Amino acid sequence: MNGYNFAYLDEQTKRMIRRALLKAVAIPGYQVPFGGREMPMPYGWGTGGMQLTASILGADDVLKVIDQGADDTTNAVSIRAFFERVAGVETTTVTPAASVIQTRHRIPETPLEPGQILVFQVPIPEPLRFIEPSEQETRLMHALEEYGVMHVKLYEDIARHGHIATTYAYPVKVDGRYVMDPSPIPKFDNPKLDMSPALLLFGAGREKRLYAIPPHTRVESLDFEDHPFEIQRWEQRCALCASDKSFLDEVITDDAGGRMFVCSDTDYCLTRRGELS
Amino acid sequence: MPWPTLNDPVHDSQRLFRQLLTAMSEPGTLHTLEVPSPPGDDIGPALWGVLLTLCDLDTRVWLAPALDGPALQEALVFHTGCRLTADPAEADFALVTPGVLAEPIAFALGSDEYPDRSTTLLVALDTLEPAGEWYLTGPGIALQRQLGLGVAAAPLMARLAANRGSFPCGLDAILTCGARLAALPRSTRIEEVA
Repeated sequence: MNGYNFAYLDEQTKRMIRRALLKAVAIPGYQVPFGGREMPMPYGWGTGGMQLTASILGADDVLKVIDQGADDTTNAVSIRAFFERVAGVETTTVTPAASVIQTRHRIPETPLEPGQILVFQVPIPEPLRFIEPSEQETRLMHALEEYGVMHVKLYEDIARHGHIATTYAYPVKVDGRYVMDPSPIPKFDNPKLDMSPALLLFGAGREKRLYAIPPHTRVESLDFEDHPFEIQRWEQRCALCASDKSFLDEVITDDAGGRMFVCSDTDYCLTRRGELS
Repeated sequence: MPWPTLNDPVHDSQRLFRQLLTAMSEPGTLHTLEVPSPPGDDIGPALWGVLLTLCDLDTRVWLAPALDGPALQEALVFHTGCRLTADPAEADFALVTPGVLAEPIAFALGSDEYPDRSTTLLVALDTLEPAGEWYLTGPGIALQRQLGLGVAAAPLMARLAANRGSFPCGLDAILTCGARLAALPRSTRIEEVA
């Protein structure tokens, strides 16, 4: 295949990532360091997710790649084309037809099924990083379960704005132990992490960390008794498919204040409009 | 007699790894691995397949005296390039029978900061059934799963049940019997039901 090994990475790199993935699954929410490789694209474009996908992908897999929910944006199109070329796998945009879904910052609206694997691209895997810049310190904080500072951060939101203003990368606690960054998905998607039937894998290429949530694992979004966790709501419905249950993007349509709200998940929206079988 | 290896190393190891990943993320589920059988009775095809899939020159393997032998050593080193170690505390993988765990062998449990730096037990069992005396709950298990491992597995399961007390440090185990395989990560809560 163009002189590359199947799925681009060499076998020894895949084995290293595979061993790390088994640890990640065994310690849900814990960030396992791995020897991240350079990929033929810049950091920040999903190199972590790609390395995970390359390590798990088989010839009989069907791959879907989404970027902010859409199958047709630059990142999604180029990563899909990459794996078509270096692995020759079948690709799809249909969520239920995919066995592996690599995603940037969304979880599909269509509920995932057992056996599916969702691979998240993660820019900064450490949820405590903006509070504590030292890796040594954040490691120690995770070791000691010293997560009070995370609640302080959310409390500062309430003090300043009257409500929790964190809307994406909303911190979660996995199986009552590790506080984890669910990657910059909107908090709208956080409830889908809890007891998900699908395996969830997270890869951060620049930071060289990977972590996982096995299926049927408790995932709670951090909150307060008097300020419970809430997801975004819209007064509008999707302008194209009229869904009132999906995550909506605001699209500016002219320079006179015209705008519309449409589903961020293109496959979900097209399916509802009957344009996909 | 030379030990067999995977017919198609790239795609076979990928297929075996996905079975392993499913086993580890859904503890207690049984998987049948298609791997050529090694000679002798000690190492089944599933265990051999796991070794071929996960071991390479970056891994150190500890062999329990009951399984150790020149044929296994030679085959392991030849096919995977892994290093053998006599010190269980520095082993990435330990090849054991359940009875070995009756001894307090000092496998690596990882540290509080790096719990991933631990030994993974690769266990050769005589019994591995989807129903039996061990009840499993925890991540990867919707309600509850069962495993039947026979009386010989008691020391192993006592050691794995102790994982809960040291979490996130602990031992992960890949249980094999012939061509069948199941996994018990350290996150699984184990209970014996009489």
